[in-house]
Amino acid sequence: MIRARWWGPLVGVGLALAITSLALALGGYDVSAALAALWRGAFGSEQAIASFTLKRSVPLLLTGLAVALAFRAGIWNIGAEGQLYAGAVAGFAVGFAGGGLPAPLLLPLVLLASLMAGAVWAALPALLRSRNGTNEVITTLLLNFVALHLTGWLVQGALQEPRGVFNESAPLPTAAHLPTLWPGTDLHIGFALAIGAAGALWAIFRFTRAGFLIRAIGEGPEAARITGGVRSNRLATAVFLASGALAGLAGAVQVTGVDRKLYDALSPGWGYTAIAVALLARLNPLAVIATAIFFGALQAGAAGMQRSAGVPFAWVTVVEAIAVLGVLIAARERTPR
Amino acid sequence: MKEDAAAAGTATPRDVAVRISELRRAFGPVVALDGARLEARAGEVHALVGENGAGKTTLLSILAGHLRPDAGRIEVDGRPVAEGRAWSAREAWSLGIGMVHQHFALVPRLTGRENLMLGVRRVRGGWGLPTRRLGERLGRLELETGLRVDLDTPVEALTIGERQRLEILKVLLRDPRTLVLDEPTSVLAPPEVEGLLALLRRLAAEGRAVLLVAHKLDEVLEVADRITVLRAGRTVLEAARGEVTARSVAEAMVGDAGALDAPARAEVRVGEVRARWSARADGTDLELRAGEIVGVAGVEGNGQRALARTLAGRATAAEGRVELPERVAYIPQDRGREGLIGSFDLTENVALGRHGDPGVRTGPFGLALRWRLLREETGALIEGYGVRAPGPGARAASLSGGNQQRLVVARELHGRPRLVVAENPTRGLDVAGARFVHDALRELRSRDDAPATLLVSTDLDEVLSLADRIFTLVRGRLVEVPAAERTREGVGARMLEALP
Repeated sequence: MIRARWWGPLVGVGLALAITSLALALGGYDVSAALAALWRGAFGSEQAIASFTLKRSVPLLLTGLAVALAFRAGIWNIGAEGQLYAGAVAGFAVGFAGGGLPAPLLLPLVLLASLMAGAVWAALPALLRSRNGTNEVITTLLLNFVALHLTGWLVQGALQEPRGVFNESAPLPTAAHLPTLWPGTDLHIGFALAIGAAGALWAIFRFTRAGFLIRAIGEGPEAARITGGVRSNRLATAVFLASGALAGLAGAVQVTGVDRKLYDALSPGWGYTAIAVALLARLNPLAVIATAIFFGALQAGAAGMQRSAGVPFAWVTVVEAIAVLGVLIAARERTPR
Repeated sequence: MKEDAAAAGTATPRDVAVRISELRRAFGPVVALDGARLEARAGEVHALVGENGAGKTTLLSILAGHLRPDAGRIEVDGRPVAEGRAWSAREAWSLGIGMVHQHFALVPRLTGRENLMLGVRRVRGGWGLPTRRLGERLGRLELETGLRVDLDTPVEALTIGERQRLEILKVLLRDPRTLVLDEPTSVLAPPEVEGLLALLRRLAAEGRAVLLVAHKLDEVLEVADRITVLRAGRTVLEAARGEVTARSVAEAMVGDAGALDAPARAEVRVGEVRARWSARADGTDLELRAGEIVGVAGVEGNGQRALARTLAGRATAAEGRVELPERVAYIPQDRGREGLIGSFDLTENVALGRHGDPGVRTGPFGLALRWRLLREETGALIEGYGVRAPGPGARAASLSGGNQQRLVVARELHGRPRLVVAENPTRGLDVAGARFVHDALRELRSRDDAPATLLVSTDLDEVLSLADRIFTLVRGRLVEVPAAERTREGVGARMLEALP
């Protein structure tokens, strides 16, 4: 289990920014101009904050929570990406087919479908894990590729737009669009939904018996089983499915809130970045809000940096990776022999 | 020279293999060693005893080169080593000090032979595995010491005793002149202990110095030629075997004679508790009555786990019927893995055993836990059972083994259980810790609502001293020992009898 001093994440972020500055300087870029552009792109205006930073943080937040939930229980779900795709496809399908329904009825159905699809996508690894002890890292990772390519296949076939030119679907009916949260910007109520999910998950871990037992099977599976009398296989399976459901929700929220179409590459790897988001937050759901926004800001700022300072977007990946490495270095705990 | 001295018999003073004097070491404000002395002689078994926290482990760590002493002298074969600086583990090895640690450093998937090969240096100029050289040396060692281990089975399939012999063999391959063993008997069943002690005597008889760290006094007195007692980091007693009694050594360890006397036996009550358990197809019935301690003696690996877990309601019986009362307390053998979660604080560890209790649940459908109440209860348990901990918020892993077990015992016995199942509850504990557990189990019998107690233990003395009725468990079958035969020899004979 990852355990860190409280200042670990700050050290990680500081380290990341320092190393990035150094690398930018070595790369021949104007560091101050680049960092200023990064800041402006992320927080420079109301538009930057809402339509870029916060909007980009929504899928990271939901998948980050999915990963944090699973990791807390000792389940190494690396499949948030695939579960997100499954949720996106199911949400789109329901939204597209139910176009005649009023929005207040249709949207809950869409989100419910995505929750279920995400859980279904996690079900096979969950079952293999509890029945045969199959390593979930491998199964969830492999299913990511299945989900990605299945989506690609769908948008070139059954769900392709009527003209059959682009690898994307026809647009969703407006009844299946998530309403705006911040008027005048692109920020949709999916953001509020994700914040609510983080709060709920935090409360579950903090106050409830179920949350306590989930932590117990993660930290001491034997003790949970023997002393706690927990049916850990069953609980772990439930947590696995819930984690998949949360990641699935991220897919539908993105499709109905932002894309309003189904694309073959709708995620730039949120499900993977989610692992960094969750680890940087030390698996604390409230801290996931902060780290998701941080990563959202990095991505928004990187776009700005590319536009005005000519720094390639790939640099952001470097910053993200160094931030996580920094945290893991700072998290190293001295264990007595 | 050394062999001459050994051959000349006990009259000649033997060579001192390791001499430690005025050893001092502090960890921050905590002084672990405060002028410890020790002299281990070639050809002798030397026992180092002391309670938990007396500094035995620190002394061994320094001797093995893992820790730097703050002050003091270490001489190996008469030559001072590493004065004023740390010496390394490698240096300790090269001076002929071989350590057998409490936790074995074996690769479970590899066979014994493969594990041994990891410790042997490559043959000069050769790239292949040193199979032949290893074989020759093993043959020689077996001739000399009679130490036999199955080398072609993966280590994970070996018993603890076999793994320990393998570990000893691994160390012997490097031909140490001083062999140091850290609590080797704590993981063994009585017959295995006998074998180990005999082996240690043979190893010493060949001229090695054997330094043994141990908890159990009777074993120490049985095997040791000389005894050193550490208390609070100081050497308080150095004596030859003939000069001490179990009582004088125990007093030296505790420093307080009054603490040794056990409380009077409690009255036994008969109540309504019933538990049935069928071990095999031919079915052994076991009835536990309230107010009674039933002891199950047996060698490790004869079904103790299954029995304890089944009767604790943690596993279902493959066959037969188990009728259990509602509240069952379980003190599992491996407290670090099964009884506690090290990264959880004490309150959370208490909650782990109490979360099903309606009294600690609140909110809609009892979904939430009453953490404040649990924290208060944990504080009360810490006080009431003398758990040495900074408070309910301390992490379980930060407690010593004895205090961890106190917490487990406190949690399990506090909730007015109707049945208590204890599985090797004193394994690895020092005298004071073991006494605490024994007293707590005895105290149960005098409660108004005394529970039935099942004590499953490989420590025959423990079973004999605590149990009202005794069963032997051999190959999964329970056989009651008649009252007249409740002695070490009697129970031992029953155990042998049960074997085909």
